[in-house]
Amino acid sequence: MTLARTSPMRRGRAKSTQPEADARIRAAFEAEALASVDSLYRTALRLTRVPADAEDLVQETYLKAFRAADQFAPGTNLRAWLFTILHNTARNRARDRSRESVTVDSDAVDQAADAPSYGLSTPVATPEALLLRETLTPELQAAVDELPEAFRQAVWLRDVEEFSYAEIADMLNIPVGTVMSRISRGRRMLFDRLQHLNPVHA
Amino acid sequence: MPSCSSIDPLVTPYIDGELAPADRALLEEHLRRCAPCRSRVVAEQSVRELVRERKPVLCRDHAPALLRSHCAAAARFNMAKAPGRHGAISVAPDKGWTAWLAPVGAAASLVVIVGGAFLYQATARSSHLLAAELAADHMKCFAMNAVLGTQQSADAVQSSMASSFGWNMRLPLGSEREGLELVGSRPCLYGEGKIAHIMYRHNGQPLSLFMLPRSERPEELVETLGHECVIWSAADRTFVLVSRESRADVERLAAYVHAAMPDPATPR
Repeated sequence: MTLARTSPMRRGRAKSTQPEADARIRAAFEAEALASVDSLYRTALRLTRVPADAEDLVQETYLKAFRAADQFAPGTNLRAWLFTILHNTARNRARDRSRESVTVDSDAVDQAADAPSYGLSTPVATPEALLLRETLTPELQAAVDELPEAFRQAVWLRDVEEFSYAEIADMLNIPVGTVMSRISRGRRMLFDRLQHLNPVHA
Repeated sequence: MPSCSSIDPLVTPYIDGELAPADRALLEEHLRRCAPCRSRVVAEQSVRELVRERKPVLCRDHAPALLRSHCAAAARFNMAKAPGRHGAISVAPDKGWTAWLAPVGAAASLVVIVGGAFLYQATARSSHLLAAELAADHMKCFAMNAVLGTQQSADAVQSSMASSFGWNMRLPLGSEREGLELVGSRPCLYGEGKIAHIMYRHNGQPLSLFMLPRSERPEELVETLGHECVIWSAADRTFVLVSRESRADVERLAAYVHAAMPDPATPR
């Protein structure tokens, strides 16, 4: 059917021209890119916490992505590429907004997270882990939103958006080892917060 | 037994099921003997499971419809070539894309020659529908442009038309006295094919010139969606000028563009 419909257009030409082929590649690229709008928006919401800012961020991400389409390497993960642009844009905006460096200093962040003692010193019993399942979704959402940015990003990109460590490292512009330790600390911080909500002795 | 700090880097990939068998055995051996590490792993594992299990609810925010359409409209602003044609590596394009936004002087330009083979036929539609659709495109494209403040040079417009359509166009400089400032161009989808959309500012007001290949229409002035649209045909193509300015202004500019078009017999 499709062939029958398209063939009159093709008649008289030996093969499709380069501009036509480009237009088709371009259209496929655009469609695939636009399919990520929901997950980009959700991630932008976690970053900005303000819907209007999140919308703005996503829109700028698409403008940049479409303009830089020729820099995208076909065969690689388009969704991850879009997320990288989103995070770069967010970082640049944060930098522009405030003169005192907002750039995330990994060491400082990691030390700050280490300050209170998590997990390692206090053995955690399995019943508490089981009790975690009773957590209400709004509580979980609030606990995620309250995590310090660096840990929230890492946990969100890993456990919700399900990117690889290497992809997340690219997005956040940090080493893979730091990605893993932030995921780990983020999860422990969440555990502590949620445990607080569900005390065993309640 | 390996120390707690030496197995630390293995914990996250272990929990995510991404650890090589040898490392996994090493870590499990440690966990059997170390209660604190065992607790830590249980805690992180249970959070991971909880978050993943609740993913559908955590993901119930959807992009608003307006954002969705703005992002789709962003695609219309592309001036780049097809993805990956230069085999460029995937890098964050913060530098590359700005190259498209090279600011140019406010030199006014007009399209006087559109040559080359048009690949598609524009669908025959009523003038009013045509005007309404193009006025909507006009607003959409300028709204997108307001976000970025893009300004394309005449050269960029020409090469974009050449790469997007295979159209050879020439945009000679020198129409300052008409007060037309070139903003940029993009290929728009219309009917079954693509049409050219050249954007200008005239006295600060957005003004669009659309060109539809291989079509002929009677000259007409249509008012739609708060815009004046002048439609005319010449040399086997249809032109539509869209602006919110006064009817007299729009007609005058249309006449200017019309007059600036070459005689079909004139070789390019």
